[in-house]
Amino acid sequence: MVGLLKCSVQLTLCSFLCVSGALWAAGSTSVLPALDRETQALKKAVLDLNRELFLLEEELLYPSNTQVAVFVSLDVGEYFALDSIELTLNGKKVGNYLYTERELTALQRGGVHQLYLGNLKTGSHELVAVFTGQGTHERDYRRGASLNFDKQIGAKYVELRISDREQKLQPEFIVREWE
Amino acid sequence: MLRPSANCLCVITALTFGITGVSAAYADAQDGLVVRDPHFGSALFYFYQQDHFAALTRLVTAREQQRLEQHVAEAELLQGGLLLSWGQHEEAGGIFERLLASAADRPVRDRAWFYLAKVRYQRGHLESAEDAFESISGTLPPELEAERHNLLARLYMDQGRFDSAVAILNQWQGDDAWSAYARYNLGVALVRRDSLESGASLLNRVGTMRAPDEELRSLRDKANLALGFAYLQAQRESQAKPVLQRVRLHGPFSNKALLGAGWADSADQHYERALASWLELSRRDLLDSAVQESLLAIPYAYARLGATAQAAEHYSYALAAFSTELDRLDTTLGAARSGELLASLLVRDTDFMGSWYWELDELPPGESSRYLYFAIADHRFHEGLKSYRDLLALSGHLEEWREKLDIYRHMVSTREQAYAQRLPYAEARMAELDVPAMERRQYDLRKRLQAADTRRDILEVAPMAEQAQWQRLLDLEHSPAWSSPDSAALREKQRVLKGALLWHMDREYKLRRWQHERAISNLDAELQQLADQLERMDGAIATVGDTVVGFAVRIDRLEPAIDLLQRRLANTMQQYSAYLNGLAVAELQDQRERMASYRAQARFSLATIYDRMAAHTSQAPAR
Repeated sequence: MVGLLKCSVQLTLCSFLCVSGALWAAGSTSVLPALDRETQALKKAVLDLNRELFLLEEELLYPSNTQVAVFVSLDVGEYFALDSIELTLNGKKVGNYLYTERELTALQRGGVHQLYLGNLKTGSHELVAVFTGQGTHERDYRRGASLNFDKQIGAKYVELRISDREQKLQPEFIVREWE
Repeated sequence: MLRPSANCLCVITALTFGITGVSAAYADAQDGLVVRDPHFGSALFYFYQQDHFAALTRLVTAREQQRLEQHVAEAELLQGGLLLSWGQHEEAGGIFERLLASAADRPVRDRAWFYLAKVRYQRGHLESAEDAFESISGTLPPELEAERHNLLARLYMDQGRFDSAVAILNQWQGDDAWSAYARYNLGVALVRRDSLESGASLLNRVGTMRAPDEELRSLRDKANLALGFAYLQAQRESQAKPVLQRVRLHGPFSNKALLGAGWADSADQHYERALASWLELSRRDLLDSAVQESLLAIPYAYARLGATAQAAEHYSYALAAFSTELDRLDTTLGAARSGELLASLLVRDTDFMGSWYWELDELPPGESSRYLYFAIADHRFHEGLKSYRDLLALSGHLEEWREKLDIYRHMVSTREQAYAQRLPYAEARMAELDVPAMERRQYDLRKRLQAADTRRDILEVAPMAEQAQWQRLLDLEHSPAWSSPDSAALREKQRVLKGALLWHMDREYKLRRWQHERAISNLDAELQQLADQLERMDGAIATVGDTVVGFAVRIDRLEPAIDLLQRRLANTMQQYSAYLNGLAVAELQDQRERMASYRAQARFSLATIYDRMAAHTSQAPAR
């Protein structure tokens, strides 16, 4: 039975040494070199094809002459926890987006969400965004902001920005053309 | 029986593969960046959600569309980092090298050096990786700085330069997960090289550290376990036990700690204490090798205490338990050989196929899946499964595109038909719109107005209705009854009306003249707009046909490309499947062999006890 003890200790130590070896190899690509190379090549090929498909889709559905994109950005977000945004363009509802916690975190870290992508003819247009969420002290909060803008030939980007107004301890909702 | 929980599995995989937010480190380095191009922010939005494929797609598309002009270097760095996280080491390396060859800012260059060093290290180019690390001239963002120290320590260990590794770890003051992992690795490496004292010092530091989260608590347990077993191997049992007792009673490493504590007591001939640990252990999941060993260790301890009947009873129990487990293992082995196990691992994964931040944190239900727990903890299996799943998701993604392409093809064909139908009408309408003729008319109008202005011709600028009234009043003078004496009243009335109309037209003259002048001037802009529109229409007519055909050609080209890639993906996935099944079968065979060996030991020991008892019984009457 002493043999069992020795065998047990050896086995356990061995398992540690193997594990630590794996730790050193963390992030290493070597599952099987040939298979890994083929996986890398495949991923690159799919990514290239995906880019082509993406470009085709955008050029076909949203040509740059008529394209309008609405982006959402968030600054800090202490005084307002965003739930959803409802978007209206020229009196017609074009979008209603409910944010997940994961998406909100991404926004808080500096990510920008493309809320809407569509087409508009040249001329004057009105965009209205209604923000729903919770303000300070977990109070339900619903605020609207609007923008009248002139669409020329070429893509137009609009930003819906939620930022904290420190002095008034309130959120601020800004709709503006992305410069 | 204690079954591996989801949480436990997460911790095991995290500890095994050193997953402590590698991509999070990169993400933190991006925090605080002011987004000036919305499409760069959009890529970050997906990146922060760990959806690397979506982030990469947006980034490369926006770069091709030249929409990232204000984040050129940052976008390149992000793309390199994303490719690295996505396992595209070669391409990532190329990006970082290109970035360093450009005139990027120092912070960007430092980060590029860091990632290049990481790529080189992961590809095993240790010397050039070290050169890249040394090229970092400033301080990196805190998370990257911690990872840099950890990687450098690992690099030194790989080169056998343990003193340098110890020095770099001692230099690093940050109290973080990276340094804890590095100390653990270094400690184990030193123990391997028979430098127990140096290794023990590092493992002891990790084993007594403050651990605010589950991952670090598990690492602390693991360090204590490694140190405890190192002491046991060195026959320093009295030092082993207190270290093993620091391991939590319920955690991923508690089973081995209980086993080791029992062996430490047993070596000191404290069999009752050893039994306490082993009996606790024997109630746990028999799949764990420590629990299996405890089934043999318990009767051994009873035998040493002279309790032969209890020893025999426990050997019998072990024999039965091992036999049952062997039958189950045989069934599972059959499933693994037929490829069912891999399918069962992914069967619950379908809901997450669309997302790209998947981690295997839960085993599928079913008797056989419990055996996979140990297969998954194998680095090769985990990496292979991750790649297999990546490819499976890519295949699903391409299938979605194929469906969309069908719709787009229909859309393009409809556009083509509409274009053919509307073109003749549009061309006819455009032919009617003669802009030069309109401009000539505008010129004439301006001349007429100037002439009227010279003469102060109030009638010329008067509205048509007033001009008609004036004409009717004049026409009266040419009627046959005009000179008749009876028409005196009519003549007087016409005179008054003429005077009133003249007075009115004269009074309105200035305003009307200004209005005419403004209307003629406005025509300039309107005619220009019309000319522009006609020019655009001409351009559209000339190009729309080509564009529509161009879309059709692109769709025709992309569809076979999807088919080709799908075939390659299927082929590679098949290879992964065979590889993973092979690993699972090998792991299960190991488990089976170990179990069979334990059963043989139990059977032999039981037979020995029975022999002794029989010998003892046969000698008793003789006495």
